[in-house]
Amino acid sequence: MTETPPQTAEPPAQPSWGSAGVGLLRTRLTRASSSLRALGTLFALGLIWLFFALESQYFFTTSNIWNILLQAANIGIIAAGLTVVMIAAEIDLSIGSLEALAGSVAAVIIIQHHQPFWLGVTGALGAAVLAGAISGLITWKLKVVSFISTLAMLGIAQGIAFLLTNGHAIAGFGNPYDQIGTWTIDGFPGAAIIAAGVFVVLHLMLTRTTFGLQIYAVGGNPEAAAYAGIRPGRVKLIALMISGLTGGIGGLILSSRLDAGNGLFGAGDLLAAVAAVVIGGTSLFGGVGSVVGTAIGVVMISSINNGLILMNVPDFWQQIVVGVIIIAAMAVDQLAKAARLAVR
Amino acid sequence: MSAQPKQSGREPVLEARGISKSYGAVQALTGVDIALYPGEVLGLVGDNGAGKTTLVKCLSGVLRPDSGEIHIDGDVQGELTAERARTLGIETVYQNLSLVDTLDVMQNFFLNREIVYNNPVARPLRWMNRRRMYRDTDAHLKALSLPVDARRPVSALSGGQRQMIAVARAITWGRHIVMFDEPAAALGVRQSIQVLNFVRSMAARGVAVLFISHNMQHVLQVTDRIVVLRHGEKVGDLATAGATAQQIVTLITGSELVVEGQDISV
Repeated sequence: MTETPPQTAEPPAQPSWGSAGVGLLRTRLTRASSSLRALGTLFALGLIWLFFALESQYFFTTSNIWNILLQAANIGIIAAGLTVVMIAAEIDLSIGSLEALAGSVAAVIIIQHHQPFWLGVTGALGAAVLAGAISGLITWKLKVVSFISTLAMLGIAQGIAFLLTNGHAIAGFGNPYDQIGTWTIDGFPGAAIIAAGVFVVLHLMLTRTTFGLQIYAVGGNPEAAAYAGIRPGRVKLIALMISGLTGGIGGLILSSRLDAGNGLFGAGDLLAAVAAVVIGGTSLFGGVGSVVGTAIGVVMISSINNGLILMNVPDFWQQIVVGVIIIAAMAVDQLAKAARLAVR
Repeated sequence: MSAQPKQSGREPVLEARGISKSYGAVQALTGVDIALYPGEVLGLVGDNGAGKTTLVKCLSGVLRPDSGEIHIDGDVQGELTAERARTLGIETVYQNLSLVDTLDVMQNFFLNREIVYNNPVARPLRWMNRRRMYRDTDAHLKALSLPVDARRPVSALSGGQRQMIAVARAITWGRHIVMFDEPAAALGVRQSIQVLNFVRSMAARGVAVLFISHNMQHVLQVTDRIVVLRHGEKVGDLATAGATAQQIVTLITGSELVVEGQDISV
């Protein structure tokens, strides 16, 4: 890395560089549009909280807020990994199944084979990362889009989970495994602390490390990234391994809370995770997004689910509401995109 | 073999021999020989589809030729990859902008050559020194008289500004060889002149420059030697001094298309 600027001949005295005023305005508008979006999301979250607080006096109690955070924990963890993949302009549809796979692997190792806790945890996370690596390698080497490779993995991982557990729930982890998702500090859910840890690590990775920059570059313009000597396929492989790992961590927490491993656990989490990521402003087209936005999205989804339960709204309405939110978030983004283009 | 103009005994910094490349049934390059010398600006001209961009991509390691050898500083390179080329100080400005729009100017400027903190904790994590990179990017751009904020997102820049950022990046990092593929395509008159000045000053510093352009005035103005491609083959290699636009256009098209004395810009 050179420190001194290069010496070059004097260019024309007056650079043809467009008006500085317009440029500055453009910078501000581009910056503002992303922070404006974050503010809008927070505002929407505030409205949702206000609504539920008015509808249910129980909503804003400490124990319910802890409950919301507990529910947000494993969706949040898998959504954080999904954010990384989506910034790299890929998708991981298998994250819900990876939760089931990890929980089932842990159950087989710990409950059926009476192996130690650490072996169960390592095996569960290893299986999930391996599944992510397989999706990533298929995407990289066989040039199958991740939409397909992870859709296939969705089926394969869940199928393996069912095979491992023989279609039943293998229950009764016992201590310490059953503590992973249930420990608390003065009532505050430990799972939410684990989730916060995952968010902090992934946020720092994305914004502070060279690998994070590579993820944004590959998602924004894979050709330009390749010209710069970055191998997009390799970056996407690692991104999918990260979402495999977060799927595994989510699976540990989920199976610990339910004290069992089964192929069905986590099956509905994909929808909520995708909703959280798109609410958080991560682009489906890659190159743009943050896990901070996803964190807000997760809390929103979790609050809505919780509030609807408090209002005695039947379960299946939650899915419909989440689906509608995904559509609304995408519509807002498309409108914002159109507005940005109009500014330019 | 076309006649090689005298190179006053200097060794080429890049020498490619017998480069062939095909895309499926389309033969883009057939046995092309080309050499770049330090301090020399080599013009590469040819009609659309003559293979100029393909050749540049082979020389910058982005494409792997089907056959042929690329020697840099006389060494036989096993396989020239984009990563390897840049560590050797080879930079390229591609015709289709090689910037990531969703990143800011600094992030593009330092893409895959980021400055990381040099301490035992930060180094293995590849933890970036962003403040220093912003400062350095501003300094580099200022040195090239390109007043743009390193924190500006590229998506907020005009086409010409983006191209100038790509040019500035190549000039800054290209210690050894810099290749320009139609650098002026998105530029205004004044910026084009600025780029031509950059090209000459780099050559004066001893950098080997490859310059692709359809603009005959630019080519005649800025190059020392001109290589002509036609249908993927090298059909001419001549010193710029003494060459006329008509001569070159004739080589490009393969026939006398041009009326004597006409101002030519292909």
